[in-house]
Amino acid sequence: MKFLINPSKFNEIADYIFKPVLVLSILLFGLGLLFSFYLSPDDYQQGSTVRIMYVHVPSAWLALLTYAIMTFYSIVALAFRIPFGFIFNTAVAPIGAIFTLICIISGSLWGKPMWGTWWVWDARLTSVAILFIIYLIIIFINLSFENRVVREKVVAIFVIVGSVNLPIIKFSVDWWNTLHQPATISKLAKPSIDPSMMTPLIIMTFAFMMIGVAIAILRIKTEIISRKSNLS
Amino acid sequence: MKFLKKIIFFYYREYKLNMSGVQDILTNIVFFFLSIFIFIFSIGPDKETISTVGVAIVWTLLLLSSTLSLRKFYQDDFENGNLLIIHLNGFSFGFITILKTFSHFLFVQVPFLLSIPIACILLNIPNDKLLYLFTSFGIGSLTLSCLGSISSSMNLMNQRNFLLGSVIVMIFSVPIIIFSVGIINMEQNFNSLINILFGILLIVFAINPWASGLCLKLSIENN
Repeated sequence: MKFLINPSKFNEIADYIFKPVLVLSILLFGLGLLFSFYLSPDDYQQGSTVRIMYVHVPSAWLALLTYAIMTFYSIVALAFRIPFGFIFNTAVAPIGAIFTLICIISGSLWGKPMWGTWWVWDARLTSVAILFIIYLIIIFINLSFENRVVREKVVAIFVIVGSVNLPIIKFSVDWWNTLHQPATISKLAKPSIDPSMMTPLIIMTFAFMMIGVAIAILRIKTEIISRKSNLS
Repeated sequence: MKFLKKIIFFYYREYKLNMSGVQDILTNIVFFFLSIFIFIFSIGPDKETISTVGVAIVWTLLLLSSTLSLRKFYQDDFENGNLLIIHLNGFSFGFITILKTFSHFLFVQVPFLLSIPIACILLNIPNDKLLYLFTSFGIGSLTLSCLGSISSSMNLMNQRNFLLGSVIVMIFSVPIIIFSVGIINMEQNFNSLINILFGILLIVFAINPWASGLCLKLSIENN
């Protein structure tokens, strides 16, 4: 597992796994789209709009997961002086921002036919919007500092301080009375979703994950090269 | 004893600096009142509407106008080297941030605290709510000072994007705004909400020396 903290090891492994990951992501994405459009049933209340879930839920999970991994890497990088964490933060923040944006846009497209509005000031929605702004600020910090050493550590500190938002997002549906429904899939209890809808959801989640991993590999490699040549 | 003397001298120096630039603090307060006027012009002079949204307006404008002076939090001392001299005199960076936070609270936030009653008269906020506003702002302003310390120490080496500091403060002040405006609307829940505000203050107060001290150290090492 050394390739997760060592840039040169990471380069070696990434060359091996990049093409398989890309092929796998295309296959999974095609399969997931097939499942979600043709092989899964309509909801008895929501009709065909329930299919938005197969984009909305995976992107929301991955937005949270990306931030959680960034927090972990920031702590590791600051505590053990491992520069790969800083590389990871710089490379992955735009991916997380795009996932959050997909989640917000698909959610409001889903909200218009179901709730009657594009947007409500609900705890879950607001906290996800704040997550999106936090991602944007991380990107802005990356763009506006000139000194690389200071920039990376400031980003890491900001990521750690901003991670207080994660539990708020996760538990906002349990703590407050919200319009957004509580979690239907959890590890401890039996999921309250039908297997025929569960299958495309899981497939789409893995497809999104693979696409994210493929883009992340490309961006991390670019970042390593630009660090080596002292470009920024 | 020597240490206490140093702290007293530190605050004496802060006092002198702030008094020589007293027009900055006054400009902040003028900004605060001018924005209240603009809010009332845009909402319309209807008494009912103003008194319902009054507390929210006061809190929003207090936040905005206290972020205006963030640029000066560490920047002047950093550029003329005083920060390094204070550090060489036996203060750790974390302790400097605590001292600076209290100084910002005293010289920037307390004038706002004094101008709240006048704002309440302008916005038709009833007198019995003044106490709640005072307590919530007394706690919230110290939290804002801590957040300001974090964001301005992050932006010491940032030469391009000056607004980033205010944005960082505003995004972390969202929970304070939510709970402190909630205090006024839920009077029977007063104690529990005050406890939540105190909790936020303590969390931020604990993070502050660590985060801003690290940022100060980084900026001084890499300058």
